[in-house]
Amino acid sequence: MRTIRISFIHMLGFVRRDMMLLAAGVSPIFIGLVIRLGIPFSEKMLTEMTGLPYVLVPYFSLFDILYAAIIPVIFCFITAMVMLEERDDHIDRYLFVTQLGRFGYYVSRVVLPAAFSFVVTAILLPACKLSDLSVLELLFLSLAGTLQGIIIALLVVGFSANKLEGMAVTKVSSLVMLGSLAPYFIPGPYRYLLSFMPSFWTGMVITEKQPIFMLVSVLVAALWIVVLWKKVGRKNN
Amino acid sequence: MRRWLNLFIWNMRFQARYGFYLLYAFLTIFYTVVLFALPITWRGKTAAMLIFSDPAAMGLFFMGAIVLLEKSQRVTAFFAITPLKAFEYVLSKVLSLNAIALVVAGVLAYVSGSRQVFLVLVGTFLSGAIFTLFGVLVATKITSLNQFILFTVPVEAAGFLPAILHLFGITPDYLKYYPANACMDLVSGRGVTFIGLLFTVALIIFLFYFACHEMLRMWQEQGGAKI
Repeated sequence: MRTIRISFIHMLGFVRRDMMLLAAGVSPIFIGLVIRLGIPFSEKMLTEMTGLPYVLVPYFSLFDILYAAIIPVIFCFITAMVMLEERDDHIDRYLFVTQLGRFGYYVSRVVLPAAFSFVVTAILLPACKLSDLSVLELLFLSLAGTLQGIIIALLVVGFSANKLEGMAVTKVSSLVMLGSLAPYFIPGPYRYLLSFMPSFWTGMVITEKQPIFMLVSVLVAALWIVVLWKKVGRKNN
Repeated sequence: MRRWLNLFIWNMRFQARYGFYLLYAFLTIFYTVVLFALPITWRGKTAAMLIFSDPAAMGLFFMGAIVLLEKSQRVTAFFAITPLKAFEYVLSKVLSLNAIALVVAGVLAYVSGSRQVFLVLVGTFLSGAIFTLFGVLVATKITSLNQFILFTVPVEAAGFLPAILHLFGITPDYLKYYPANACMDLVSGRGVTFIGLLFTVALIIFLFYFACHEMLRMWQEQGGAKI
């Protein structure tokens, strides 16, 4: 545990030098403020312009889902970039053969930042939410977002050999978040084409108000994480 | 010309090797599916947002990683001692990335039912040039990917936010001359004012000059020493 803690602190120092630590601290609050103040303001302007009774209101809960997903993605994305740097600089393989080990390395680079992002999301989401969400839904959205963050970090590390490939994979892997749009915008049975995405079930939890979908969402995310964890392990071997 | 052409082809091979073509083939299919899933009335504006924020802006997203990888492979160090000019390097980057952007934008414009595909392509080319040149400028100043991502945030905010608001008609009329908004007018298949086009071209020339200048400086100052 001590080695994992030291490794995590080492990474924080690395990130701090790039000012990314400051960005990671400020951006969730900034995005939260933009959503909390900007979206209702935009709604007011749009209703005045269009004459419609509401424009964005039906999607307020979608903004909450996306906000809960963005915070962990920011944290995990930053750590994924650090891991890519360490891979390009051949630092990771040296760390693997220390006391830290491969498992400890990924715990310090993926699991700990994700756990931290869960706490931050669980604190900020109730303050910045736009829709009426229960405590259970707030905790679920924080958890679902955190699992997505882990998935994105593992996708980036598992499917790229260098920084450039990492950026390309990041682009694709960020699409994992978009599954939550399907229950809002894609009609009828077609939406289930995206049921392999955990975020799809996150959207279903909020739109259908069915708590059983929480379990489905977590199980689908867990399946992704297990498969990707094995992929990362094979890549390092 | 032959040297530039070789560099242009090398850039395209580099992009193919690192999966750019595969990535954008996948993204084009994905965006096409998304467009087909949306109501017809939404497709035009959604396609414009997708084109403007992804294929057109790919240079801004990838340039940091491209330059850092080239640096780590010492490619830029070799450029510094060849007869290659910085403007040839920058131009080849802009045009090779824009080649991908134009193909993706063409497909998305066609799928969305746009009748102004030519205007969409012109808009994609101009916005692609602006974003790629900004990407080159930022890439010459950074030492890590996280730095690049952080430094491109203001460019993204200044580029995307006004353009998307402009697309939905919630910006003041005079902002149609703002280059990002003029590009968005083209990408969405609407006409652009002459002054807007003039400002856009002027911005591209300005950015191109500074991108070349900074690239040359980066080549000359590698490893903490002047070559």
